[in-house]
Amino acid sequence: MSDPVDRQRRLVLGAALSGVAGIGIAENDRAVAQPESPTPPARASSSQRLEPLRRIEAEVLDIACYEAGPADGPAVILLHGFPYDIHSYVDVAPQLAAQGCRVLAPYLRGFGPTRFRDPATLRSGEQAALGADVMALMDALGIGRAVLAGHNWGARAACVAAALWPDRCRGLVTVNSYLIQDIARAMVPADPEFEAALWYEYYFQLERGRVGLAASRREMAEILWEQWSPDWDFDDETFERSAAAFDNPDFVDIVIHSYRHRFGLVAGDPAYADLRRRLAALPPITVPSVTLDGDADGVLVASDGSASAAKFTARRMHRVVRGAGHNLPQEAPEAFAATVMELVKAS
Amino acid sequence: MAHEAIPPRAASSRRLEPLRHIDAGVLDIACYEAGPADGPAVMLMHGFPYDIHSYVDVAPQLAAQGCRVIVPYLRGYGPTRFRDPATPRSGEQAAVGTDLKALMDALGIRRAVLAGYDWGGRAACVVAALWPERCIGLVSCNGYQIQDIARAMVPARPDREVALWYQYYFQLERGRAGLAANRRGIARLLWTQWSPIWPFDDATFERTAAAHDNPDYVDVVIHSYRHRFGLADGDPHYAELQRKLAMLPAITVPVITLDGDSDGVTPATDGSPSAAKFTARRAHRVVPRAGHNLPQEQPEAFAAAVMELMKA
Repeated sequence: MSDPVDRQRRLVLGAALSGVAGIGIAENDRAVAQPESPTPPARASSSQRLEPLRRIEAEVLDIACYEAGPADGPAVILLHGFPYDIHSYVDVAPQLAAQGCRVLAPYLRGFGPTRFRDPATLRSGEQAALGADVMALMDALGIGRAVLAGHNWGARAACVAAALWPDRCRGLVTVNSYLIQDIARAMVPADPEFEAALWYEYYFQLERGRVGLAASRREMAEILWEQWSPDWDFDDETFERSAAAFDNPDFVDIVIHSYRHRFGLVAGDPAYADLRRRLAALPPITVPSVTLDGDADGVLVASDGSASAAKFTARRMHRVVRGAGHNLPQEAPEAFAATVMELVKAS
Repeated sequence: MAHEAIPPRAASSRRLEPLRHIDAGVLDIACYEAGPADGPAVMLMHGFPYDIHSYVDVAPQLAAQGCRVIVPYLRGYGPTRFRDPATPRSGEQAAVGTDLKALMDALGIRRAVLAGYDWGGRAACVVAALWPERCIGLVSCNGYQIQDIARAMVPARPDREVALWYQYYFQLERGRAGLAANRRGIARLLWTQWSPIWPFDDATFERTAAAHDNPDYVDVVIHSYRHRFGLADGDPHYAELQRKLAMLPAITVPVITLDGDSDGVTPATDGSPSAAKFTARRAHRVVPRAGHNLPQEQPEAFAAAVMELMKA
């Protein structure tokens, strides 16, 4: 990397965070991070389940949600990705609750016990829908403002909510930085190695891919877990705990729609047309943000954060987390939780 | 690339030259020829993303044993050209099969051993199935290669689908643009994935990759991969042949099928899945230390299979 670094302007926070190579730059268009500690030993994630779940009627969904911590604590919403579930936060949630946060970990549309309230609602997996679901959940729970934190689809949902409703967001933790999709440029190819890593996205464009996902949810998810988290030594029990969430009756429809919509190859839900228009402009994120990349992420290679710097107009720090793959909150829960707490305390 | 642990067999660094050009059907086919003009003919058919140099070692071995060896560039590859700019740049199986038969017609070759792998194995299977009177025998890598397009939407095992990433990618305009922009990058990645133990060097790769600069390459490749999933129409010119191919016709000539034991895209089998499609004598072999580009990786095994059919 040839990007010069102004060391005076770095906020070095990594030393306080186990397993984190943390270097952030505030109010700067160059966020640079460098690994600085050895890879931590493999850690087994907790085998507990996030239970009990509560159910919340929130706009089009009946959302199944894990809640922990004091009801009057500062709210944190933890958003999972594909193909994962709320147990990406199995270790993060208790850590945040113990520090006084009101923690909410909802199952996204199409996952786990979350259900659509109306059979006629389009099973859209588009980014506007995921962001709107977060806002609907906050409204239903009477949460005015929260720290929004996520990875993968969940990070996208958090980015969407933070960009469109910044007054509802105290701070944003996003794995892989700015994740609002630039659908107008979806037909611009990437380098061949990255395209090969996106095999499932291309596969899902075909009916063969839909049938394959429906027939082999677990097998496909397990391949993706292994490809995306090559250093993560998850066991069968850990996988199955999450994979059960893919038996949701809407899972296949939502997933297929999501991956077709992001390439502009299927129409979105008209209910989100206005949000879609705003997202197409790639709105900036104006709330304090910490972006995390796993240095062992097998699908989105860790960056120095600079590519997305212009999208974060408030204070933004970028960190590369040592030894973490794509399922960063489950693989490196201390680093993820510590990041959330920084934003909770700062706001 | 892991090059260790293999007794390195460097493929020849020579080029298959000179080429001759033959007007054959819709194509002006560029073709390497070797061996005695009155020898028994063998047609060596390359695949994607390869070229005639898959046969760089096979061709001289067969010529030295008295065969008339013909190695054409397929439509869309190397110096082969369409004669009419208006001809659809189809990559469908009926077209590549028809091209092979048209080449034999143009060269006055009545019967030949047809040998190939990948697209070339498919072209050989198509001719052997539709015009068995033109085929002395068939050497086909990966068994019976005629596509069952009616079943193209039936998924394979997920780990097999991963390996087909390029086929799914090519369904999107992004894939077309990616192929056009990164012919070499994609081809090199596929070589590496499909021939994981083959220590090819840059010169070997580049000698072949130059064939992908053909102006029709992207159109033919994209059409081929869309057509096989039923997602692009075929050239009406081949409608009748495709109708026959849709029946998955049996191959009634003597056949040797070869699988590479290190093939990274089409795993080696015991030959049984395609056994019912071969109604005459058929031998199946798994070739050790061979990946998907079998004739270039293990030329002796490939040439020996051709000679066996020739002598029989």
